[in-house]
Amino acid sequence: MSKRVRRDSHSGRKVWALLFVIISVFCIIFFSARGRFHAPVSSKAVSLVLSPFQSAVSWVGSQINYVTANIWDIVTEHQQNKMLRNEVDQLRVQNLQASEYAAENARLRALLDYKQTATQFDLKAARVIGREASTWSSMIVINRGTMDGVKEDMPVVTEKGLVGRIVEAGPNSSKVQLITDPRSSVGVLVQRAESRVNGIVEGDMDNPTMPRMVNIPKDSDVQAGDVIVTSGFGGIFPKGLAIGLVSEIRHDTGGLLEVAILEPAVDFQKLEDVAVITASREAPPEPLKAPAQTPGTETDPAAEAAEQTEAASEADS
Amino acid sequence: MKRFGILTAIVAGLFVLQTSLLPMIAYHGVSADLLLLLVVSFAFLRGVREGALMGFLTGLLQDLATGTFFGVNTFTYLVLGLFFGSFSGRIFKEQFFLPVLCSLPAAAASYFILAVLMVLLGYRFNLTASMQYTLLPMFVYQLVFAYPVHRIAYAIDTWLSEKN
Repeated sequence: MSKRVRRDSHSGRKVWALLFVIISVFCIIFFSARGRFHAPVSSKAVSLVLSPFQSAVSWVGSQINYVTANIWDIVTEHQQNKMLRNEVDQLRVQNLQASEYAAENARLRALLDYKQTATQFDLKAARVIGREASTWSSMIVINRGTMDGVKEDMPVVTEKGLVGRIVEAGPNSSKVQLITDPRSSVGVLVQRAESRVNGIVEGDMDNPTMPRMVNIPKDSDVQAGDVIVTSGFGGIFPKGLAIGLVSEIRHDTGGLLEVAILEPAVDFQKLEDVAVITASREAPPEPLKAPAQTPGTETDPAAEAAEQTEAASEADS
Repeated sequence: MKRFGILTAIVAGLFVLQTSLLPMIAYHGVSADLLLLLVVSFAFLRGVREGALMGFLTGLLQDLATGTFFGVNTFTYLVLGLFFGSFSGRIFKEQFFLPVLCSLPAAAASYFILAVLMVLLGYRFNLTASMQYTLLPMFVYQLVFAYPVHRIAYAIDTWLSEKN
């Protein structure tokens, strides 16, 4: 009888302990989502231990991918050859167009004395070594950390556009929150000169592959096909990084705003190599030019120097 | 201690596979959740106590390593470990069909617990569209990987029983 009572009290204590754990974890979820709870040391320790293995398995995976891709290439060589020829023709046309645009651009710049405002970046190349399987958030792990100069809030890009930002930098690896993550928000604007409408791009839980641009006024002229770039507001992302194209415009549930569904510039399903922007700065200023001179009184420094040397030699003789 | 080390190595190995290799065969970013499968199989084979412990630890590992909403996987796996562990005494351990089939309700339960947590955290989404994009592909992946993971869990269970 006494044994049963002891066993009952023992199991009762276990149930209470279990309930305590469940309620604690439940509370931690909400505290952590509101930024009031962090586990930085243990999180970094886990990343530190796991990242070499993730790196190794990722390398094996990429090798397998490489071999299978080569085999597939051989199998589809003929078809690929035709496609490549077609692509070469298209690229030649594009190249010609690009040269035309470059020449036109130079002429317009000279004509309008338009100051170049492009920014320059210091980039640190990184490889994607891990990807979260969760369907509710979009994170990747890269093989660069604080030892490589990577810090939190640094933007991550590819040659095609913005990927996301560093949310946690460990010694040899970092976690990147993609722009498709519902917690991510990026200040953006429409690149078209007539529009320049501002908005915010955030991840969409309904369709994790297509982020959406919110806070668009209903009377704005955003159209399907518009290019969306970062606005530079907020101080994390430099201005002018490509986000994607508008594929569809929808009315917000409130009725006062519109929501644009974006086709991202970066293919997030095939992310392998990325670059971290470790520093961004404005381009060096244009060299100073002499002001325009009154006609008939022009001075040529080279001619003046030649005259002076000639006069000096005559005086000597 | 040795048992704990080997179990940790197996869990870490599955996690590394899940985050580094499986994304290569992912569909719209969705791939198999090997740790969830391990928790369900382990709970079926070892009971409520060890199932809940395995759920708690694997969920914690996933939360710490991936940077997702902290605690959501810990909570979900703990609850699922408890639930599926309660059936432990009612099935034959040698019977593989039921644990493998249970990978589907486990995936659905995990999805809906996480969906409720997201709603409670203030995120809104279209459930039908989200299910179409995430839950259906996840069912296929879970079903494909359920058998191999259950074999691993069965081997662990046999080894632990021999040790005892």
